[in-house]
Amino acid sequence: MIPYNRDPQQVIPNSAVKIIGLGGAGANMLERIALDGLEGTALLALNTDVRTLSSSLAKEKIQLGINLTKGLGTGGDPELGHQAILEAEEAVRAAIQGCRIVFLCVGLGGGTGSGAAPIVTRIAREEGAFVVIFATMPFVFEGKRRREQAETALNELAVLSNALVTFDNNRMGELVLAKQGIHKAFLAADHMICESIKAVIRLVIRPGLINVGLDDLMSALRTNRSRCLFGSGISKGKDRAINALRNALSSPLLDQGALLRDARTVLVHLCGGEDLTLFEIELLMQHLQKFVPETAHVLFGAAVDPAMGDSLSITLISALPEDSLTMAPRETLSHLPAESPELESRQSSTVPVAKKKAVAQSPLPEPTEEDPLFAGADKPAAPSLLSEYRRSLAGSTAEAPTLFDQDSPFTEPELPSIPKSTAEDYLAGAEPELESLPLNTEIPETPEPTPFSPVVAEFVAVNREDSSEVYLEEEPSPEPIEKDENFYNPGPEPTGFTPIPRRRPAGTTPWTPAKPRPETTGSSAQLSAPEIPKLKLDTKFSTPQSELAFETTPRGRFEGADPSVIDGEDLDLPPFLRKKK
Amino acid sequence: MARRTKIHVGLEIGTSKTCLVVGEVKADSAVKILGIGETKTAGVRKGEIYDYSQARTCLKDALAKAEDASDVEIGSVYLAITGSHIQGVNHRGTYRLPDGEPVVAPEHVEEARNIARDVHIPPDHVYLHPIVRNYWLDGLEHSISPVGLFGKTVEADFHVVHGIGARIQNSIKLVREMPLEVDDIVFSPIATAQMALDREQRERGALVIDIGGGTTDYALYLGGVITASGCIPVGGDHITNDIHLVTGLPFSKAERLKVTEGDASAEPGRSVGTAKLTDDRGFAEIEVNRSVLNEVIRQRLEETLRLVRDRLPVGSVESIGAGIFLTGGTSLMRGFSELAFEVFDRDIYRPELPEISGIQASFKDPRYATAIGLIRYAQILESERATPPGCLGKIARMFWPFGR
Repeated sequence: MIPYNRDPQQVIPNSAVKIIGLGGAGANMLERIALDGLEGTALLALNTDVRTLSSSLAKEKIQLGINLTKGLGTGGDPELGHQAILEAEEAVRAAIQGCRIVFLCVGLGGGTGSGAAPIVTRIAREEGAFVVIFATMPFVFEGKRRREQAETALNELAVLSNALVTFDNNRMGELVLAKQGIHKAFLAADHMICESIKAVIRLVIRPGLINVGLDDLMSALRTNRSRCLFGSGISKGKDRAINALRNALSSPLLDQGALLRDARTVLVHLCGGEDLTLFEIELLMQHLQKFVPETAHVLFGAAVDPAMGDSLSITLISALPEDSLTMAPRETLSHLPAESPELESRQSSTVPVAKKKAVAQSPLPEPTEEDPLFAGADKPAAPSLLSEYRRSLAGSTAEAPTLFDQDSPFTEPELPSIPKSTAEDYLAGAEPELESLPLNTEIPETPEPTPFSPVVAEFVAVNREDSSEVYLEEEPSPEPIEKDENFYNPGPEPTGFTPIPRRRPAGTTPWTPAKPRPETTGSSAQLSAPEIPKLKLDTKFSTPQSELAFETTPRGRFEGADPSVIDGEDLDLPPFLRKKK
Repeated sequence: MARRTKIHVGLEIGTSKTCLVVGEVKADSAVKILGIGETKTAGVRKGEIYDYSQARTCLKDALAKAEDASDVEIGSVYLAITGSHIQGVNHRGTYRLPDGEPVVAPEHVEEARNIARDVHIPPDHVYLHPIVRNYWLDGLEHSISPVGLFGKTVEADFHVVHGIGARIQNSIKLVREMPLEVDDIVFSPIATAQMALDREQRERGALVIDIGGGTTDYALYLGGVITASGCIPVGGDHITNDIHLVTGLPFSKAERLKVTEGDASAEPGRSVGTAKLTDDRGFAEIEVNRSVLNEVIRQRLEETLRLVRDRLPVGSVESIGAGIFLTGGTSLMRGFSELAFEVFDRDIYRPELPEISGIQASFKDPRYATAIGLIRYAQILESERATPPGCLGKIARMFWPFGR
């Protein structure tokens, strides 16, 4: 057996992750994290107050402002906090050195937190770390002054950090019932922050079946001055997919999913035990569609972790530009052209953007579907066209396309089983589309096919001959087709490209050489990871899956009644059947 | 106090049947049941009405039957309601007497009660009952109001039952459309407990579980006061449905099979061979393996009982002294007491219905427990109404003996 080593490029060793708790609130969060047992990550406590520092559970501790405050706190003065961290800058720098990711937990509004956080962030960035900040905002009743201090610090942090997750203490009430004790409320807040850190770490450290790595995380969070939207849910038992999603959406940061409506990029990561089924993923993603705008870029990842047992966790990460929280409530398709430059600046030169831009500028009113994965939702024409295509081109039986769609993203053996001729046909058939795109939209940065192998050029030539009208009539569906071909990459293989491993190394570099298509401009690792789930989603909508019907097990006379679910068990189903599993 | 007889009517719109019980409370507070009107219900699922026109028809029919049987014109009813949205919580209100007032005055108690009643309930919920459990004066328990005693701090312990306002209002609206007046609404298990438990049993600790067609209602009494109440949306219909889903039999046959052949005890001796239903010519129509049938029933009921047990406060099952009282139609299931004993490890009773005269056969039937309990509830409520009828009231009563 040939050992296949997953590309370790995106896998970050535990040792390169550091969690910093800054100030009193940060110390509390750190404590929570330490108690929840986040395996293997280093914890670093920074504080001016030597009393809280000494009681901290963190392994590393650095006292700030030894000479300045002499072991006392800053008394709520950010200026003192600022000077205190400058005093200890060298020590902090030494502690952060070599870290790839730094999580900074801080409660804004106080002296140490507000004053020192921007400096810590700067130091970490200077050391080349990816900085994710978890900041809590003070309660309203703490007064305007503290609020202002917090806002000032937040503004600085938003610029300095790679990602900023703010948690407003005023919304703490949503986490717990009103009658529960105050310590519960704070516990819940700390717990949520801890959960988010854990989820991000899980995401980055563990290689997934469909990998999302640091790069995806960055692209999900990369809007300047952004507020991070974060939701994480875990559930087990029946309907765990839906329940996990519901839990994730109930995160106060997501506002029941309402805030996701404005998101441009959403990172979805699933982690389940060994019994995680494709069907569950599909179900979950389908439900998620309702909350995510059609135009959003969904970065999908899945991982199987035996330690999860029979539970399933979902993590949603997205970022909202800060201004959109206050203004411009809903994004509509008509706004898109105006927004596309911004999109580009955000993810320059990645293929999705190039495409987005292309489509946005396209004169055709109807196919301005940015993202094919959502095409099925309101535009059934394209998918059906796609399936027609498949039927005619692949020359396979009627159900063959659906088989592909369902299985190929996960079962490796499926790929080699595609007949070569089919794949070639496929490519050939798809070619007019590829070509049509640059022609129509005239993007300057889109290179002509020339840099690529003669084979492709030939294809293009052939297809140019055969038809202006073909591509005209197929214009509405450029994306799905193109996507498709993109996915069935083994296609080009026989035509003389660099051989690629059959195994689909989700989101890793070996994929790169196999993508010689006109629009591919670069940054391939970024491309392939998001592409695959896109296809999956797209196809899911294009062909209504017969399997989906199986989910709704018959309920007899309780059909249609609102289900009574207690502890994740649907009481309307016979225990006799439920418990047998 | 010499009082005239009063007539109360209890109405329960259950999942399987709509039942009106007309009861006469004699001057010596004995209860006589004058008549019962009962029809099968349609349009109710899990204790909640989903088809109002059907439910209305059923109620009309039951009303006509009850009026027929009792020879009383029914003007107002006590309505029992249930549904999984209804829940009971305990809450205590503390009031510290102002300085210079060493004696507890009625307004102090009232204040403590108001504080106790002020439970945080979801915005769409309304209060059904604030039931006073007991009072505390400076940490000492008093079962009645401590008005006139010396003390510093008055506390009132309440059991507050609340549910979704809109659903409750809809039930009331249905009854009003009859037209019938609604004297009061009562959470079903509380009504049932009035009937099923006597004072001594409540004192020693008792749990009433009313397993009806669509819901399982429970009320726990410890130390003479209600400690927990609630509703689980699972009932006899679920068993029928389970049999239907597992065996594929139609509902009517599944129901008959459940009633005639089912057994909930885990005794292997009762799960041997096949259960047969014969058609009207005596031929075996359907055959089901008894082990499957009984297992389906047992698992459903066991799960339901365990759900009840899990919802009770921690340690309260151990302090039940008198035992567990099972009522409701599903409690007639064979082997159910054995199963309940297995789950709770307490004495299991089917409540006897004492001190009620009338059509005896009906009272022995646990299916009427709630509706009869409503009469009891009305009676208690009536006697609790503090102000005895004044002069004007007495005159009024001479002309209208049956009114309120």
